[in-house]
Amino acid sequence: MKFQKINSRLKTRLIFFIIIFVCFSSAIYLISYALKDKISFFYSPSEMQALDIDDKQLIRVGGLLKENSLRLENTVWYFDIIDEQEISVAVIFEKTLPNLVEENKGIIVEGIYKNNILIANTVLAKHDENYMPQSTIDKMKSEGIWRGD
Amino acid sequence: MIVLNPKNISDFLDRYKKILLFLFLGLLVVSLGMIVFIENDYYQGVSFKIMFIHVPAAWLSLMFFGIMGTASIIGLVFKSPTSFTIARSISPIGLLMSLTVLFTGSIWGYLTWGAFWVWDARLTSMLILTFIYLGHFLVLNSFEHFQKSDFAAAILAVIGLVNLPIVKFSVNWWTTLHQGASVFKVGGPSLSGIYLSTLMISFFCVLTLCVYWIANIFITIIEKRRYERMKLFNE
Repeated sequence: MKFQKINSRLKTRLIFFIIIFVCFSSAIYLISYALKDKISFFYSPSEMQALDIDDKQLIRVGGLLKENSLRLENTVWYFDIIDEQEISVAVIFEKTLPNLVEENKGIIVEGIYKNNILIANTVLAKHDENYMPQSTIDKMKSEGIWRGD
Repeated sequence: MIVLNPKNISDFLDRYKKILLFLFLGLLVVSLGMIVFIENDYYQGVSFKIMFIHVPAAWLSLMFFGIMGTASIIGLVFKSPTSFTIARSISPIGLLMSLTVLFTGSIWGYLTWGAFWVWDARLTSMLILTFIYLGHFLVLNSFEHFQKSDFAAAILAVIGLVNLPIVKFSVNWWTTLHQGASVFKVGGPSLSGIYLSTLMISFFCVLTLCVYWIANIFITIIEKRRYERMKLFNE
């Protein structure tokens, strides 16, 4: 009799905390679902073209730095950002680039989109989750199994 | 239920915690040696070596929160002081680990991305986790009696559990500046073999140190609880 009483109280408490947990997780889920576009840090160039943006609004665009597009003229950097759909956007940037900015590597740019040119005020280098020593790459290249570059 | 008596666990830890310390020192020598002598990353150069403290600290801060939240649920449902004591002893170490993640991560970010901090999903959810840890730690120490603070902090830990999958999967669900997962991901690790073994050794190195600290805190709390009970009894 006594055991049953304790057992039912345990069950009530367990259900109570499960309800707390479920309520909070669904609240967080709904919030993040509603703010999906705001939480994402950047748009790809093709997503950006679908957007309706005015030329005062700061926007972040990310992708790969297009091959043979990076050039420096009168202390101003010119380059293109390209995504998987091969759609690119032209960027100009007047400050110093981060060390890791390289062609065919990830890059994120924050700035204003005006007359089909993104005037950047911040450039960030985005590295991916692959790490390996140069010697491994050389070895893979000599064996013909390197798929990068 | 003799085994789960807090005093027995405390005595057990007191007797064997030295082993953890020796393990830590051994692993420290090995992992530091490996970190110094392995080749640099082809792209990031030497700065990627911050990973070997950043990633273990990140895993541990998530893992400790998971254990703390589970212990809190068990404590709340079964009113078990042992579970509450486990949660209480993990809390400060988890806080330390999450602060380590933010600190080493911002150095790494400055060297590679070119920014100490950005408000992307991974960084923000990690900051929220740190604040929950901080809140948990403060709640634990803001009541006069263990019972009250354990209860309040446990509720916070249960709510905080919601944040764990968000931290882990933020890089998959949204676009972020932070790179994706390298080790626990579909298709196997994307680290070179030698980096993976260095990472694992440095993870176990930090793990043994943390468990040693947690064991020490656990022993102290058990002593304090006994003292508190004796004081109540004498009144």
